Amino acid sequence: MYRARVLVAFLLLALAGLLAALGRERQRAASLGRGPDRAGGKAERCVTCHVRPEEDPGGAHARAAVGCSSCHLGNPLAFDKARAHAGMEPEPGALRTVARTCGRAGCHPREAGRVASSLMARASGIVSVDRFAFGEIPEPRGTASITDVLAKGERTPEEDHLARLCAGCHLHALRGNRDDAIHGNGSGCSACHVARKLPGAVPRPHPPVDARVTDDRCLGCHSRSGRIALTYEGLYEVERSQAGACGAGGEAATLHDGRPACRAEADVHRLAGLACVDCHLHTDLMGDGRAYEHAEEQVEITCEACHGPVREGGETTWGGARDPVTTALLHSRGETRPPAERVRLGRRGTPLWNLRPTATGWVTFRKGQGVALATKQTPADANHLLRGHERLACSACHAAWAPTCDSCHTRFEPAGTQWDFAKAAEAKGRWVESSDGYAAREPALAVRADGRIAPAVPGMAMELDATAAGGARLSRNLWSSYDPHSTGKKARTCASCHAAPRATGPGTRVGQRSLDAKELARVAAVGPCLSCHAKASDRVWRDFAASRERLARGGSTCTFRGRGGPGSSVL
Amino acid sequence: MILGRLTFGLLAVAVLSGLALAPFWSAARPLESLEALNGATPWGFFLRAVHALSSWGFLAGTLAHLVEVLARRSERKLPPGVWWRSVLLLPVAVLALLGGFLMRGDAEAQAALAVAREIAATVPILGRGLGALLLGGPGGDLAAVALHHAGTFTLLAWLLTAEHGRALAPDLRSTVLAALGSFAAAGVVPVALGPAVAPDGALLLGPWYLLGLQGMLLHLPAAAGWLLPLSLLLALGATRHLEGRARSALLAFAAAWAAAFLAFTLRLLLAAR
Repeated sequence: MYRARVLVAFLLLALAGLLAALGRERQRAASLGRGPDRAGGKAERCVTCHVRPEEDPGGAHARAAVGCSSCHLGNPLAFDKARAHAGMEPEPGALRTVARTCGRAGCHPREAGRVASSLMARASGIVSVDRFAFGEIPEPRGTASITDVLAKGERTPEEDHLARLCAGCHLHALRGNRDDAIHGNGSGCSACHVARKLPGAVPRPHPPVDARVTDDRCLGCHSRSGRIALTYEGLYEVERSQAGACGAGGEAATLHDGRPACRAEADVHRLAGLACVDCHLHTDLMGDGRAYEHAEEQVEITCEACHGPVREGGETTWGGARDPVTTALLHSRGETRPPAERVRLGRRGTPLWNLRPTATGWVTFRKGQGVALATKQTPADANHLLRGHERLACSACHAAWAPTCDSCHTRFEPAGTQWDFAKAAEAKGRWVESSDGYAAREPALAVRADGRIAPAVPGMAMELDATAAGGARLSRNLWSSYDPHSTGKKARTCASCHAAPRATGPGTRVGQRSLDAKELARVAAVGPCLSCHAKASDRVWRDFAASRERLARGGSTCTFRGRGGPGSSVL
Repeated sequence: MILGRLTFGLLAVAVLSGLALAPFWSAARPLESLEALNGATPWGFFLRAVHALSSWGFLAGTLAHLVEVLARRSERKLPPGVWWRSVLLLPVAVLALLGGFLMRGDAEAQAALAVAREIAATVPILGRGLGALLLGGPGGDLAAVALHHAGTFTLLAWLLTAEHGRALAPDLRSTVLAALGSFAAAGVVPVALGPAVAPDGALLLGPWYLLGLQGMLLHLPAAAGWLLPLSLLLALGATRHLEGRARSALLAFAAAWAAAFLAFTLRLLLAAR
């Protein structure tokens, strides 16, 4: 009897177990996808469920070629959804896991390693200039990164300023952390290499992922601060109070994020159809593995690299060019270069692979469409060989305009809230910026750290009140030398430089300065002569010092006797 | 003793279910094959659960039967050789089960394999060879592990159990009850696989029956991985030859060992949470 009872009890238990297992078996069978379970020659069970065409990024990252887990991680062997999605990276390309996604062996380990040390990831220039502007460091230099700032528990007023106003624009900024700068594309590699979802476009679970980076992806971050992406497009931001008052010929516009703007002349390269990446080298954008402090140190491309005159060592043959990334890039595009073909190089020797010599001269190929554009070489004429202009950067004359903001007021208000990128949430207190309005005008000139004279605009010229954040009240009048990306085919007039106010005050780089008294005097001396001697080919400019000497001796027919003219003490 | 017979029945169920599982497992792609068994094979998860739970039941039964024998002071009923070989059944069962754990090929199994290799390497003279023999060479597949799991240790476990129970096979009633019990448990207790790749910063856990040892090894050198279990086995084996205080001392040592093992198991589980 006892034996029978035990057997019946075990039978009933087994039956209960089998019934429970039957439920799980039905669930398993129902949840099983019907798609293939392999991709790229390996087990990839993600594609048993993710079969919709719009879930396929296509191109080199096509689902059939790399599957899903190569980028999204997770468990590609599992059939069960929960197990398959465990450990997934929802934001492939994010620098926190990039070594296992884009940077995995066999994919892009070299590029992923460099991106983490690039300025777009570290933003160390923004950090050091902001610290300098707040008076926290004596010089605008240092390699502290924006992630160092965001990781801090106790923040200085400047770090708080960075965390709230500046920390949305770097490659560590994750999707969902007020991602208007990266357009929700994702951080890291995806910020640039994932096609942006345009307003009004049909939602697509998986956008294309490729090396053809369009300008709209640069715009998110580079429409701020120096605003070079806007200038390149022929746009400049204005205050809301200025909206609709764009001045003569200026058409009102609205930026992608709703900021009011006005139209101006676009960069000549933009008008020719060149995208940002058509000029900028992979080392400019992704870095070369070194931790630079400021953008101009990382950027290799120069106007002269394409347009000449080529610096010594700035041209070689493909047989002598050594850059594995460019070689791999050409290979991926199915292109080759004959070893004897000439190639121009960036400042650190990176080949400009889309600039090629032809029988009629150099041509630039648009990387996206491959369209060839004749690339004019700088003529050896009077305009470009003018004595006294040896130190001028190309942009000193060819930057047609620059966005400027002469009076910025920055203050901290303890009341109210503002997004804090360190906390990825609204936080108490806010930094408020206000200005008397933006303008687009010909930039002033200043001396860069490398000694060349280049455009300069007010950069952090502001009245800073950080007292409510425990900081100081400061008045800053910093100037920043940069290329505004408003290149015009026609150079600005001589008078616009020689008879215009100059940049004054300290620069935002060590070694950058405004023109000194002697330089200013020399520049001003030219001004009065321009009304008669407007052309660079005029003989007075062949040796201006000799011309002045001749005038002083009375051997000139010059009749100008105004202030600063030949008869004045300025000469 | 019904517990001993039921334990033998559980071993039989484990062996039979293991034979049924064998065609689905691949030494070259262990995790992939087990994911397919769990996710794409009708009733595959159930079969795997029956195998795992009957094996765990066999180990638990062996331990419980050992405690029962020691509590009843009935170890002297066995000849000394048989007793020592019966004590040896404990590590053999653990090694057989550990082989099954390693055969999962997931991140936890890979970590456990690395630890097992490190422990084996600390055995004087034989270490490296022993590791290669039992676990295969680093970078190789899991064929050696599978061979000892399904062959060496299972056969040894069967022979030692049969000798201890003085029967070549379990009786039908115990086998049926063991099978029914395994079915019941397999229906309600899912036997999950570990993660394919170790999550960043996560603590990977070994098999539940070795968690205590894993916890101890966080504070002790790798050699403790075989010295500590050896000390327990020697103490258990020696009880057959001693009486009175000496026997009590050995049992106290075994009890303390078990208590420490349990404490470290709990500590590790809490740390993992």
